[in-house]
Amino acid sequence: MRAPSSREAALGEALLAVEDVSLAFGGVQALTGVSFDIRKGEIRAIIGPNGAGKTSMLNVINGFYQPQSGRITFKGKERASMRPYAAAEGGIARTFQNLALFRGMTTLDNILAGRALKMRRGFFWQLIRYGPALREEVEHRQRVEEIIDFLEIAAIRKIPVGRLPYGLQKRVELGRALAMEPDLLLLDEPMAGMNLEEKEDMSRFILDVNQQYGTTIALIEHDMGVVMDLSDRVVVLDYGRKIADASPDDVKSDKNVIRAYLGEPHGVSV
Amino acid sequence: MPSTDLGLDTLPKLLIHNASAIGGRPAMRHKDLGIWQAWTWAQMLEEVRAFSIGLAERGLKRGDKFTIIGNNRPRLYWAMCAGQALGAVPVPVYADAVADEMAFVLAHAEVTLAVVQDQEQVDKIIAVSDRLPHLGQVIYDEPRGLKDYDHSRLIAFEDVQGLGRKKLASDPECLRLWQAGVAVGKGSDLSVILYTSGTTGRSKGVMLTYENTIVSARNANGFDRLDQNEEVIAYLPLAWVGDYIFSYVQSYVAGYCVNCPEAPDTVVQDRREIGTTYAFAPPRVYENILTLTTVRMADAGALKRKVFDFFIAVAARWGQKILDGEKVPLRARLLYGIGNLLVYGPLMNQFGLSRVRVAYTAGEAIGPEIFRFWRGIGLNLKQLYGQTEASVYVTAQPDGEIYSDTVGKASPDVEVKISDNGEVLYRSPGVFAGYYKDPDKTAEVLTPDGWVHTGDAGFFDPKSGQLKIIDRAKDVGRLSDGTVFAPKYIENKLKFYPNIREAVAVGASRDFVCAMINIDLTSVGSWAERNNVVYGSYQELAANPQVYDMIARHIDEVNRSLAEEEVMAGAQIRRFLILHKELDPDDGELTRTQKLRRGHIIDRYGPLVEAFYNGAATAEISTEVTFEDGHKGVIAARLAIRDMQAYPARTAKLERAA
Amino acid sequence: MDILHQVFIDPFVQMGMAPDLLVQTLWDGLVGGVLYALIALGFVLIFKASGVFNFAQGIMVVFAALTLVGLNEQGVPAFVALGLTVVVMFMLAFGVERLVLRPLVNQSDIILFMATFGITYFLIGFGQLVFGGNPKVMIAQQLYLPSGAIEFKGLGGFVSLQKIDIAAVIIASVMVAVLAVFFQRTRIGRALRAVADSHQAALSVGISLEQIWVIVWFAAGIVALATGIMWGARSEVSFSLQIIALKALPVLILGGLTSIPGAIVGGLIIGIGEKLVEFYWGPLLGGGIESWFAYVIALGFLVFRPQGLFGERLIERI
Repeated sequence: MRAPSSREAALGEALLAVEDVSLAFGGVQALTGVSFDIRKGEIRAIIGPNGAGKTSMLNVINGFYQPQSGRITFKGKERASMRPYAAAEGGIARTFQNLALFRGMTTLDNILAGRALKMRRGFFWQLIRYGPALREEVEHRQRVEEIIDFLEIAAIRKIPVGRLPYGLQKRVELGRALAMEPDLLLLDEPMAGMNLEEKEDMSRFILDVNQQYGTTIALIEHDMGVVMDLSDRVVVLDYGRKIADASPDDVKSDKNVIRAYLGEPHGVSV
Repeated sequence: MPSTDLGLDTLPKLLIHNASAIGGRPAMRHKDLGIWQAWTWAQMLEEVRAFSIGLAERGLKRGDKFTIIGNNRPRLYWAMCAGQALGAVPVPVYADAVADEMAFVLAHAEVTLAVVQDQEQVDKIIAVSDRLPHLGQVIYDEPRGLKDYDHSRLIAFEDVQGLGRKKLASDPECLRLWQAGVAVGKGSDLSVILYTSGTTGRSKGVMLTYENTIVSARNANGFDRLDQNEEVIAYLPLAWVGDYIFSYVQSYVAGYCVNCPEAPDTVVQDRREIGTTYAFAPPRVYENILTLTTVRMADAGALKRKVFDFFIAVAARWGQKILDGEKVPLRARLLYGIGNLLVYGPLMNQFGLSRVRVAYTAGEAIGPEIFRFWRGIGLNLKQLYGQTEASVYVTAQPDGEIYSDTVGKASPDVEVKISDNGEVLYRSPGVFAGYYKDPDKTAEVLTPDGWVHTGDAGFFDPKSGQLKIIDRAKDVGRLSDGTVFAPKYIENKLKFYPNIREAVAVGASRDFVCAMINIDLTSVGSWAERNNVVYGSYQELAANPQVYDMIARHIDEVNRSLAEEEVMAGAQIRRFLILHKELDPDDGELTRTQKLRRGHIIDRYGPLVEAFYNGAATAEISTEVTFEDGHKGVIAARLAIRDMQAYPARTAKLERAA
Repeated sequence: MDILHQVFIDPFVQMGMAPDLLVQTLWDGLVGGVLYALIALGFVLIFKASGVFNFAQGIMVVFAALTLVGLNEQGVPAFVALGLTVVVMFMLAFGVERLVLRPLVNQSDIILFMATFGITYFLIGFGQLVFGGNPKVMIAQQLYLPSGAIEFKGLGGFVSLQKIDIAAVIIASVMVAVLAVFFQRTRIGRALRAVADSHQAALSVGISLEQIWVIVWFAAGIVALATGIMWGARSEVSFSLQIIALKALPVLILGGLTSIPGAIVGGLIIGIGEKLVEFYWGPLLGGGIESWFAYVIALGFLVFRPQGLFGERLIERI
């Protein structure tokens, strides 16, 4: 549990805000008029039954989908839609529900790939290993090693990611996202398919990232226990609409939310 | 080479000597953030001294006790010497000790200062701080997660070193005073208190003087010709006497380099990178590697398997002889050479053992096949026998005289004798000074003329002149009909099978012997995969009838083997069951060094023991367990009991040693 | 028995008896192999980065060579023409990315493959329009490429190495080395590997797919140019040169479509294998082996090891 008042004070202004976003493709209305914000430094959970549009929401935020209507305001700049490159450059990093790792590359290279945007020196200098380019490479490598240390994946540094067990792959993906030194970290079901011990480890990492680096985090999650423990505020989506937006405790007891997950109550108290 | 003749009778003095005599040679390495960082003896002296003066600034003084808790990290080793330089006494504690165990040791030893690795240890101390009235401050190595903690009694390692360096720079007398403090120390001073995880009752604090450890270390280095060129990897618990001696004292005495791995799970890779020359591991580790290899081979293609099996057979037949330097036909040597290229070499390399000259194992009996395997493929594996109370060394096997069922001849300067009732006693310069604050227990174990009761029953094998250990003396009991019952002896035979991880034999004062078995998840799990046996948990696998069949076959073989020994024939196993959960130190069933706590187990599993002897076909058990994070739960199970056949006794031919 | 003798014993005896011929054959095979490898390399580059099998690679070789020779014919000095050709290849890459790849970005692979057909015929037509359909001579001399041959006396006879061949091997090796370093060490190389592995992941890390594609097609264009110069110098520059691209197919099957070392090794195996088999087993089999040997090998691989020697085993999980 988190100490409420000091935590409240630590959270800042809205880092990201989506306003009245609607998204449709191929005849499916994925999102309808969704609005919410994410404050700087907070951990925001996005929950909802399957098909509620949670992943679509993340895709809109980091630019994979362009909404038909609505606005996205990120770091004070308002725009109608986001592009992947702009999102990445702006400091948004992402993990994926079904993993999008570079399967043929090692853990180290995968995380190093996250530094892509941070590498400044032109490729010609890199080709001949010129001084500053070399220094930069060393610096990137050090950052990556720090992340490897942080996520406790030193033992699998040189193993091609495709060969790792699922839980570790998820951790590597998190590492790659962290390598981007993001301001906003979007996690799409980071705990999916994990056992209790792995979930606890992942929760610890997420909390540490938030506390140590101050990274704002938006996460989609199904495990209610995790949502309760980790998040400051929760957004609930159902059939592409927002049906609740409050603290975890309030959301837990919200009638609309219960109905969305469980169907109409049959006179049984939950 | 340093020796006590030069007046180097304490560890800080040895450090100062090394820093000037071999100051440029590497003393310690640590793999951090992917690269190996190294410190020479001169650099290490500077680090230790800075921390030492910092500790003095923070109030640590001669006679104080301080604790070290964590994994094998350079700073923790430095802390030991830094405190010793001030005349304080380190009391290391196991990193994976539960808060309760830790609290007992720290309170008993009246520890006033703690140097710990990370947030996990800090949290544990905070959790029991009300039971530690003496503890004043806690120094931590890794700052992660501790940023927002209350720092009134908490301080970072670097900050303490910072204090030390500042004092050194500002106060001209400081260095001289510190060196004088070191010079005051002498060989008979108390150098460390190591708490042994008792197999019965509470832990006892073994007090060792500098002389105890340094003389033992010097002898050990001489025995195996260890010098400053050795490379050793420190991965066994800091708080265990073996690591204290191998990775600390012996290193200081010989001047060799100790390498700290990046993380517990990178040890094999790190060992390979360093190319260690001297290894120590409990038999379990050598077993595990063999099991892992066997499992992997079972999954490999047919050609690979045939090649592997063929050359392993060659190794089994000729390997040990070649290693022992005996004459061997040319053809065999040639085959062995090819085998080395194709199989043994790559295998040893895989596990980082290619450059190892001496590999010791101790702590429990090792299966003869495992022994034969390793020596066969060229690893100079040998056994030693020791105790914390002996500063490790009691007996060790000299090169060229290696047998799988003995533990060696008396180590240099050690005398060993067998008492009338079969107990092993020893006397040596390494014998401890006593148990801390426990004169009664000390008197029980240490005789006035310096002999120590090991509590183990053993005898000298007439053929080889080496010591053989049967069992814990008090565990050697008798069945109701007077037959000798040595539970460890039986359990060891069972544990030689890869499928059996742990076994508990019961039968003292009973009519017959029964056994509770823990299956090995790796080995049996792999068998299950290959035979399409489905299981969802350890408990399910342990209850599977086919698994029972497999274990029954092993027990049957053991019974046959027991039948061949006149003394043991009456102690064959008549009934057995497979336990639903692994025996665990966290539940108090094993010690931290994986030894059985027999009395405790028999207590806890009382209902099972009853079921054994009242003829029941199943037994129900409900046990409280402690999970890794400390919280407790209850696990219940119904276990099947199988009956086994006993074989009539017959004498076997005397087995040729090797 | 006799046939067995002829197949398994005779050829080796012949090799032993006239080692100079053996060395000559091996050398010729090596040169051929290196050039095959170069072509295959072009395919690998593009396939690795954009997942497209570039049918137009062969015609790119011709087009590059034609541009070079054509410019020179118009009076542009040799090395300036070379530089301009490089620029042209860049523009080609840029154009292909803008006009072909970008609009078709989410289409299936087969559609992209068909698009490369389109590029091929476009280049053929355009090339003929601009440069005419007549074969031309490569401007080897102006580019300071050596001519003539070096002869070794020894090994029982003599071995003749064409200097242009030596130059070809050296240039090709340098090119491969540079590409290898480029892929492994630079950030663009890393980005290329990332894009080759997973578009989605690459996007999420901020790698610009468009930029990468331009670079990769440009690199393939440079490889095509080098190939065109080398092949053109050894024979002539005409549209029939694009047939050589077909030879690249067995190389790719052997080496794996996604592997640069594979393209090299595959090329060498096919090149040397072809020449050896032709020379020593040719009389037995009636000659003409060079035309089908490569394909038979490729067939074998397709049956037993479809991913080639170095390629990735694609296990599709449903």
